[in-house]
Amino acid sequence: MDGPAGQRRDRRLRPLTGQFWAAVDRGELVRPVCRDCRRSFFVPQFACPRCQSTDWAYEPSSGRGRVYSCTTVHRPPTPAFDAPYVLADVDVEEGWHLLTWIVGCRPEDAAIDMAVSVRFVSGPDGHRLPAFAPEETVR
Amino acid sequence: MSGSHPLHRVAIVGVAATEMARRLDATSAETSLRAALGALDDAGLAVADVDGVAARWPGPGGTVFQPGSADWAEVFGHPLRWVCDTYPQGVPAALDAAAAVAAGLCEVALVFGGQAGVMGGAAVADYTRPDNEFLACWGSLTAAQFALVAQVYRHRFAPDVERVAAIAAAIRNAGSANPAAVMAGRGPYTAADVLESPPVAEPFRLLDLCLATEGAAAMVITTAERARDLRRQPVAILGGGAQWHRQQYVNPPRYDEVWGLGADAARRAFALAELGPEDVDVFELYDINTYEVVRQFEMLGLCAEGEGADCLWEAGIGRSGRHPVNTDGGLLSYSHIGWGGPTLKIVEAVRQIRGTAGPGQVADAEIALVTGAGAGAQYYNVMVLGRG
Repeated sequence: MDGPAGQRRDRRLRPLTGQFWAAVDRGELVRPVCRDCRRSFFVPQFACPRCQSTDWAYEPSSGRGRVYSCTTVHRPPTPAFDAPYVLADVDVEEGWHLLTWIVGCRPEDAAIDMAVSVRFVSGPDGHRLPAFAPEETVR
Repeated sequence: MSGSHPLHRVAIVGVAATEMARRLDATSAETSLRAALGALDDAGLAVADVDGVAARWPGPGGTVFQPGSADWAEVFGHPLRWVCDTYPQGVPAALDAAAAVAAGLCEVALVFGGQAGVMGGAAVADYTRPDNEFLACWGSLTAAQFALVAQVYRHRFAPDVERVAAIAAAIRNAGSANPAAVMAGRGPYTAADVLESPPVAEPFRLLDLCLATEGAAAMVITTAERARDLRRQPVAILGGGAQWHRQQYVNPPRYDEVWGLGADAARRAFALAELGPEDVDVFELYDINTYEVVRQFEMLGLCAEGEGADCLWEAGIGRSGRHPVNTDGGLLSYSHIGWGGPTLKIVEAVRQIRGTAGPGQVADAEIALVTGAGAGAQYYNVMVLGRG
């Protein structure tokens, strides 16, 4: 069955993104890497947004990054979400970025430029999601 | 104007906006039609004159296969020469319609749309909840996407929060004075009221953010030649431009990519108009939130990056300030109506130039700037209007 955006209900079977979600279910973070220009990109696209090559594959990510921006959401779009939560754009060290949550700290302590690493959490529908938490060791 | 550029050979000759409310007892189709007929009446034209349409088809009835402007041909009872379904509202539709009229593809283009009977009891309108698979799972909403941009701005420049809030208060006070506004008679608002309103997505509080309401808007564009024989003072499209950075609400917007979004479009629009941003008498800016107003003044070059809030505080954005902004109360307080919000900006700008804008009329307004979309949406468009 297709969801509202034409997405497969079993996210692991979706074209383009199924392998990403399957990895998340295994507790692994991956990202598309172009085999021609070696750049990482996100969200997954059928062709590399830098060189338009269609020859790319998912590769493991270190899961380490920095907060590019973050905002504490107090009014969720649907009752499925428990506010407040911290929505963030995290720059991952292989040169890609994604929308995610900052977890593992109080919302007021989440900050731009903070070093973070991936931590898998449960989303409102029970699926695993790749959130990020403050790095515990000082670099 | 010389008349040598195609855009200078057309004019906006009719505009209309229906009643605006949190919820109207009508359908989107009925309300859209009312706006369309209103704009034709304003121009002194009839349905039979229309040979070009840019409008969403909300149903009921019509086709289920790519519904759009052609469905309106059925309602109007005669064939059309031109339709535009890509972005049938606001500045992009006005520019597309103007180009079609200038090229002779049609002579009378009608752009219209809105919504009614659709707003439910949800915290936010459904179109602000993009269901892309990398957004929806995180509880993202449009306000939060814009907040990610504003947060980087705050981190780098630490703007005076009271001066930012004063922008929302000023626009909302313009809406208080506009009897047609959804928020008519509410207020007056102070910066403190804005800062004390409930938080939505940091830094935005409820009063920093636009409405989600019902109503419809319309405009009619024809040749400058035909405009001379019509009822109203024609309004000229002096210049315009658009930027499509990327598809909206797929990847989060990045401050470093989008804070200046629109600078190229504005530069081209003003070059075509042979004017500069400092020549604008009235600004009808897309005010989805307060920081977008700050951003647009910085993007236009009227304030340096990081200084927009102070700059606007000193200049004044009320109808007698140096930079009058959103004289009808804007999306914050007048109305924001789905597939019609961007067209409302043009309706107010046209009325300002005609001198018929009501309580928000700016004395001797000759040049108006109209804008659409914004940083969080990752596309943006501008149009410079003047007397035709």
